[in-house]
Amino acid sequence: MRAKVLVLAAALGVVMTVPVLAHHSFGSEYDEKKPLKFENVTVTKLEWTNPHARFYVDVKDAKGVVTNWNFELASPNVLKRNGWTKNTLKEGDKVTVMGTAAKDGARLGHAQTVIGPDGKRLFAGSNTADGN
Amino acid sequence: MKNKLTSGIATVAALAAALFLLQAPADSQAPAGKAAPGDAAKAPGKGGAKGKGKARPTGPTPRTADGKVDFSGIWNGGGPVGDVAQGLIPGEEISLTPWGKKIMDSRLSKDDPEANCLPTGIPRIAPYPWRVVQTATHIFYLFEGNIHSFRQIFIDGRKHQADPDPTWYGDSIGSWDGDTLVVDTIGFNDKFWFDFRGHPHSEQLHTIERIARPDLGTLDIETQIIDPVAYTKPFKIKFQATLRPGEELMEYICQENQQDASHLQGPAGPP
Repeated sequence: MRAKVLVLAAALGVVMTVPVLAHHSFGSEYDEKKPLKFENVTVTKLEWTNPHARFYVDVKDAKGVVTNWNFELASPNVLKRNGWTKNTLKEGDKVTVMGTAAKDGARLGHAQTVIGPDGKRLFAGSNTADGN
Repeated sequence: MKNKLTSGIATVAALAAALFLLQAPADSQAPAGKAAPGDAAKAPGKGGAKGKGKARPTGPTPRTADGKVDFSGIWNGGGPVGDVAQGLIPGEEISLTPWGKKIMDSRLSKDDPEANCLPTGIPRIAPYPWRVVQTATHIFYLFEGNIHSFRQIFIDGRKHQADPDPTWYGDSIGSWDGDTLVVDTIGFNDKFWFDFRGHPHSEQLHTIERIARPDLGTLDIETQIIDPVAYTKPFKIKFQATLRPGEELMEYICQENQQDASHLQGPAGPP
């Protein structure tokens, strides 16, 4: 039990230690007390746009109801500087995403960790330590 | 068991989130001389530089053919992002007038011009690279973000316009004080905020920037804020930009798919 918590703590520690800078206040849009984690969900759309690239995933709840969530990434420029291309994620890909939920209850999240279809962790921070 | 685990995860998440929020400001917010965990001098590659782990470039201050300091290059940081007070020079303080306090207290995060893809004005800097292009008569700042825009500083000896129209970057004239470029700017509009916290100003804002390049990789920008409508006395801030060699500006059209402002909640504020 404790080991499981510690492992998760380590994982979450990594997730949550991304400094935040963008063209908007992170704390005004997202609630750090509302971590999100969706495993093996399907990408329904990628928007390679500014000020943030976005991807949308279908999430099925325990009752089988499917909802579509919108996840904010960094800008395409920052993603490109960190190894992404516009084809890194595409419709139909299965991903695991961890992040933070919007304060206003919208099905909107700030992606902080994305594990891509090949199992590799992708840079995701909307904002990064040196100000991008 | 499951509930305990969930509870444990929530506790850990809350702690991690608290740590996350308590981290020192990142590079573009870092006052000169105060290295933050994300300072490009320590971890320049994490966000944008090609090749992680590069140190801040070192070397002598570049100079133009006529011996002036050459500020040309791609830079990151150099102004406030979250809170202008993070750059206060020791002994300086921000003292709002009742008018300034009323404006600041009334501001909502959703109305931040930067969140709405409008320019930063001065001294705010967007968390994206920007390029200095320097000629004998002009200095141009080319901004990748917050909008694809530019600022121009006249260094040809001209004086201020007699009655400049209010603009986002104002009317800037520069003169040399030894190796320091002194940039005097008036003619601002009152639309931009100094930071996420919403520090205000009026159209009477007057800034005096002292810009120095003490070595190849460092740009020190000290800014005096003078605005008797919003502040009871002038104050000085200092921020540091870091050279990003090998970088190029990329297109960034903020207005393209701006979805954030409508989700921003509450008063102007936290970074």
